[in-house]
Amino acid sequence: MQFLAFDSIPALRLLHHLHFVIAAGFTCSTVSAEFILPGIAKSELAPELQGRVLVEELNCAACHDAMSISDSSRKAPRLAAVGARVNPEYLRAFIAAPHEVKPGTLMPDVLGDRSEAEKQEVAETITHFLVSLNKGEQFEQQVPDAVAAERGEKLFHAVGCVACHSPRDPAGVELLTDASVALGALEEKYSHRSLREFLQRPHAVRPSGRMPDLRLPGNQLDDIAHYLLRNTRVPGHLAFTQWGGKVWEGLLGDVEKERAGQVDDFNLEKLGNVHHHSAIRYDGFLRINTGGNYTFHMTLNGGSLRMNGQTVVDLAPSDHRGTRTLTAEAQLNAGWNAIELTYFHTGREAELQFEMEGPGFPRQAIPADILATSDQPIPMQRPLQSDPVLAAKGKLHFASLGCAQCHDDISSPRKDYAPMAGLDPAKGCLGEASESPRFGLSADQKQLIALALPQIDADHFTDEQRVNKTLAALNCIACHDRDGLGGISPERNAYFTGTAEALGDQGRLPPPLTHVGAKLTQSWLKEILLRGGRQREYLNTRMPQFGEAQVGHLVELFGKVDSLETVTFPEIANIRESKDAGYEMMGATGLSCIACHDFNGQKSGGAGALELVHVTERLQKNWFHLYMRQPSRFHPTVIMPSYWPGGQSIRKEVLGGNTDQQIEALWNYLSDGTRAKNPKGLSRQSLELRVADETVMCRGRGTASYRGIGVGYPERISLAFDSEEMAVRQLWKGEFANVDHGSFRPRGTDRITFANGVPFHRLTSMDDPWPYKGKTNYLFPQDHGYQYRGYFLNKEKRPTFLYRYGEIAVEDFFEDLLDAEGRAFFRRTMTFSAPTAQETFYFRAATGKAIAPEANGIAWKIDQLNLRILGELPAQIRNGEVNELLVPLTLPEGETVLQLEYHW
Amino acid sequence: MIMRFDSFNNGQRPLLFAITSAVLFIAQIAPAEEELGAMWGTAEAEYSYYQLVDIPIPPEVPMRPGSFEILPDGRLAVGTRRGDVYFISGAFETPPTPEYHLFASGQDEIFGLAWKDGSLTITQFGEVTKLTDTDGDGAADRFDTLTNNWGYAEGHEFAFGSKHDPDGNIWVALGLSGSYESHNLFRGWAVKVTPDGRMIPVCSGLRSPAGVAANAEGAMFCIESQGPWNGSCSLKHLKPGGFLGHPASYNWYPFVDGLEAPALEPNSNSRLQVEKKRVKELVPPAVLFPYIKMGRSISGFRLNQTEGKFGPFDDQFFFGDYTLSLIMRATTEQINGVWQGACYPFREGLATGIMNVEFTPKGQLIAGGFTTNRQWPVRGESPFAIQRLDWTGKTPFELQEINIRPDGFLLTFTLPVDPVVAANPETYALTTYTHVFSAGYGSPEVDHTNPTVTRAEVSDDGISVRLTVNGIQESHIHDFDLTKMQSRTHLPLLHTKAYYTVNEIPSAAVGK
Repeated sequence: MQFLAFDSIPALRLLHHLHFVIAAGFTCSTVSAEFILPGIAKSELAPELQGRVLVEELNCAACHDAMSISDSSRKAPRLAAVGARVNPEYLRAFIAAPHEVKPGTLMPDVLGDRSEAEKQEVAETITHFLVSLNKGEQFEQQVPDAVAAERGEKLFHAVGCVACHSPRDPAGVELLTDASVALGALEEKYSHRSLREFLQRPHAVRPSGRMPDLRLPGNQLDDIAHYLLRNTRVPGHLAFTQWGGKVWEGLLGDVEKERAGQVDDFNLEKLGNVHHHSAIRYDGFLRINTGGNYTFHMTLNGGSLRMNGQTVVDLAPSDHRGTRTLTAEAQLNAGWNAIELTYFHTGREAELQFEMEGPGFPRQAIPADILATSDQPIPMQRPLQSDPVLAAKGKLHFASLGCAQCHDDISSPRKDYAPMAGLDPAKGCLGEASESPRFGLSADQKQLIALALPQIDADHFTDEQRVNKTLAALNCIACHDRDGLGGISPERNAYFTGTAEALGDQGRLPPPLTHVGAKLTQSWLKEILLRGGRQREYLNTRMPQFGEAQVGHLVELFGKVDSLETVTFPEIANIRESKDAGYEMMGATGLSCIACHDFNGQKSGGAGALELVHVTERLQKNWFHLYMRQPSRFHPTVIMPSYWPGGQSIRKEVLGGNTDQQIEALWNYLSDGTRAKNPKGLSRQSLELRVADETVMCRGRGTASYRGIGVGYPERISLAFDSEEMAVRQLWKGEFANVDHGSFRPRGTDRITFANGVPFHRLTSMDDPWPYKGKTNYLFPQDHGYQYRGYFLNKEKRPTFLYRYGEIAVEDFFEDLLDAEGRAFFRRTMTFSAPTAQETFYFRAATGKAIAPEANGIAWKIDQLNLRILGELPAQIRNGEVNELLVPLTLPEGETVLQLEYHW
Repeated sequence: MIMRFDSFNNGQRPLLFAITSAVLFIAQIAPAEEELGAMWGTAEAEYSYYQLVDIPIPPEVPMRPGSFEILPDGRLAVGTRRGDVYFISGAFETPPTPEYHLFASGQDEIFGLAWKDGSLTITQFGEVTKLTDTDGDGAADRFDTLTNNWGYAEGHEFAFGSKHDPDGNIWVALGLSGSYESHNLFRGWAVKVTPDGRMIPVCSGLRSPAGVAANAEGAMFCIESQGPWNGSCSLKHLKPGGFLGHPASYNWYPFVDGLEAPALEPNSNSRLQVEKKRVKELVPPAVLFPYIKMGRSISGFRLNQTEGKFGPFDDQFFFGDYTLSLIMRATTEQINGVWQGACYPFREGLATGIMNVEFTPKGQLIAGGFTTNRQWPVRGESPFAIQRLDWTGKTPFELQEINIRPDGFLLTFTLPVDPVVAANPETYALTTYTHVFSAGYGSPEVDHTNPTVTRAEVSDDGISVRLTVNGIQESHIHDFDLTKMQSRTHLPLLHTKAYYTVNEIPSAAVGK
């Protein structure tokens, strides 16, 4: 059977389709999918060059001498430590039937002519031999962390893994197997430790760099390894998941999963780091000897216990109180019982006590030995102990089968085969004889190799072909286009993402390599290719490292192959004048390059385009001149406009309007690198809104969420009102605000800030959280009866805000007044109109760190704020995550007025 | 895919240029063709039919127009990005003698203005608000919020509002939280806001919509920008219960009474003609605007109901384009219950990035907008402007309208055609193409075909030509090149191109 791979040979496509259709009709047990090199499949390389790449990737030169390609051929994985790295079970199965265990592998089947029993015997002994070589730790699987795996899934699909390997759907099904480098069932092969180690230093095991080093930080490697191994099953006692965030509101709100794994029992200390405000869910099975009624004794702030799917305990958490002690009963069966305990580690003196008692089971904490993560046995992996006799046999097989030809890090006798020149492509590995190694090659792969073999020793390639061959073999063209050679395929395009959306495709796609040798300096090319240099921080895809042996030659070859017309640089009479002109053009009153580009580590106003102070280190000056004249010539999708359209400067007053002088001036200015003087307007420009004798308003995102309204009053005090939650968010003194389109920010001093949340709420218990607009309560606050209705202005333009709380219409008016000492304060008048008498609800008058009553009994001290509730209404303090001053309100039918004064 | 409408405001909102620096730009600069795409090259010829008039803006007025309305007293109302509303008198005089009066300030970016019953209803980012001057001092003192019940928690989340529909509703198109995702309630939906402040979700699947307006038959449309699931900019019908292409907003169906989420999501890297058959709620764009040939970031648009005062294009849509600073027009017709139609070049060479347009009582077209901090390429050089297009009274020789027929098209012209030239099928060069329907950004034009015009029948009055066409392609743009056409008096067409989007081909029984 064959599968689609080589779309570049049109004549063979139909044949492939036929094969594909036929394959679909059979059971797939005998499928030996050919290996897929996506880089070749999509390249426009000439067929004989494709064949040559195949010969190199298959490492034919390991047996058949061919001087010209022995260095460039792909080396097989190093096996000295394979016993620590790969599950011995997998090794055995893989050696016996490589193409069935890992469809698409490059490893040949060297046992094609043996009986099934012989295959098993050879595989077994070679496995013992390889494990015997292991001097390090023994192979051992680790428990997958499902939370890390969720992060890993995102990373796997964002950092570039899926440029070569297949992206997967949420169930883990590979979506693009036909055009991807196969991975096989990794959970059967690796442990988390060994996969992470491999991802961190792939070239130590696979020295030819085809699997590149993405230089990811350790925590990301952890996450990706957890994702790829998330189906690993390891026996244990209890599975757990831990959340952080506002857990006192339950697990549906503003909380985030932090980690998952397995733990022995319900003792919190076993989990290590359990911080205040976290939640744990334990999942597992409890083995009971005697069925009957069991009692659970619990002390905790909040949580729930479910036995066999039935809720036994359900206690809502609250950050406003301490723990509660309770008991509950449940009928348990002899044998396995499903247990799920959710525990909220929040509130005062958080702790979990959890004990059980029942028939023949005195009251005690549940011990690990009656807990299991599954009611079905999960086999324990036992490290394979290498048997010296079997290992010795394996060593002989290893030598006689020619394994050491490719795996040449193992000291083992090598064999002699015919040199490559003169091989008959109809025989041996390419023929039908089963005693030769079987590579699972497709007919067209064989045909390509046959084309390449006659000329294998002739090294007559042009530099251009050499470049293209490398780009195809390493699949650089999965991410980069180079003048039509490869580029991102449509099926993979959406996996390329970035953080600078304003840059369009440039903000998410790796740059094209067309003309790259005429664009980048040799030193920067080296930096990127060999030392992990990175400029486009906004791309989620990482530029990986392939190793000097693989790509070192590109540094020079790109320069040789790529050329552009030569610009004659203008003569600079006065370098100071030139740099000054560059400085002027860069700034906000010039061409305003910094509106889009970051400069010297400072963020731009908007787009987040490339940092400019490294331009002269990275770019060739010739290219800079050409690019500045016409950016779209080099990036068809660039959003950067030309400032010299048609070669004409749009700034005639700078350097006489001379285009060459102006571009040269920018270059000269930037050549000072990080020492270049900061251009004008680098800090965000602002437009100050001042208040005179009339109230001034502004609106937009900022201090008071996205629907904020800023009001600056003539007595030089201001407030920010959140029209989404209908609450005052901030008070301040002095200057009013800076406004920008769609946003405002307070100026001034003495800011008083209140916590997010609506003004009124009917607390059913003093333990209830105070409601606020979170990220996912989408219908809030309308679902709490609120509706914002706007405002009206009085003669002095002071607004009265209008909103509804249930059937109560509220008019909310702030007035700026002066106290006896001439200090400004706010008097707030809230007028409630209720069509019927209202059940009591709370008005949250203020929040703060410290709240205390003042001596006179009508005022409250909240941090820096002195709040007076006129009319001697009682209020109470509620402590919690923030402390709150609550005023119970019971409205009669008709109008009620509440007045408050804010002094600070 | 260089510029799109939403580009001037992505995440962080860029600052606009200060007026002082703007005057440093030299006027009459050769346009950056390699950056923005070639101009049509028709500006000079257009001048003798439609003249551009600048409406001066005093230096103390911070004017970044985002929306227009005509007041009952004949003044022009302008809503700005800064959140101000100005009433301008004298804007329609020749020459203009504008006087600016500040009616309201302190709002969030205003992209919708509609006057009704003594109040001005504005659509701003966070809400729809009814502004009223109750004490008659000339400034609004009541700001009654009709609704603020859609999610707004990210900087990119634009809102564009329509005029009142016959029931008094304002339709609001809500952009996604960026190009790819919908994080907050009803982002990517169009909603209808009733006079009593209820918000009714209408349809899903928008990406980054701009203007919203109804056609002569009362069907409501909005402009959509090129990007994910949108190969080019387009005019989309806001069909109640419809899904308009970008699946990021599926997540809000559970919040809509009486609407089920479509059973399927569209497949990426597919074609509209395939996906509209799979996803039955999918409403194909009514008019596709081929990228760069017909704008790059189309913005506000209005229906011409001037009863001939603006020339021979009554009941047609007129659109501004932000990036290319030009005006285009479009016609719509309903075939098999689906809206489709054609777009046509109209006028280029406007002074700034056009954000919105409006017809005056005198039958002039107001167009205005702004550029940003040179951050995004805009062909017009002015940092902001309000301009006016006046018809000179001279009828240009133009392709007035294209209508589809079961076996071809009916082409109607503004002046009689030369009967010999028009009867020759070779006068009509017709190609078709479509876009990749994809989650990636934008699309090249793909699947090109060349239908053949087998017959061209000229009407007796010479005004229309009935084409019989072999090879009409469903879901393709039909790109007409009529360079060879001549009027009876041997004038060439003022604009030789037109683009008809075929969603449906009428059956013989329906067409004539």
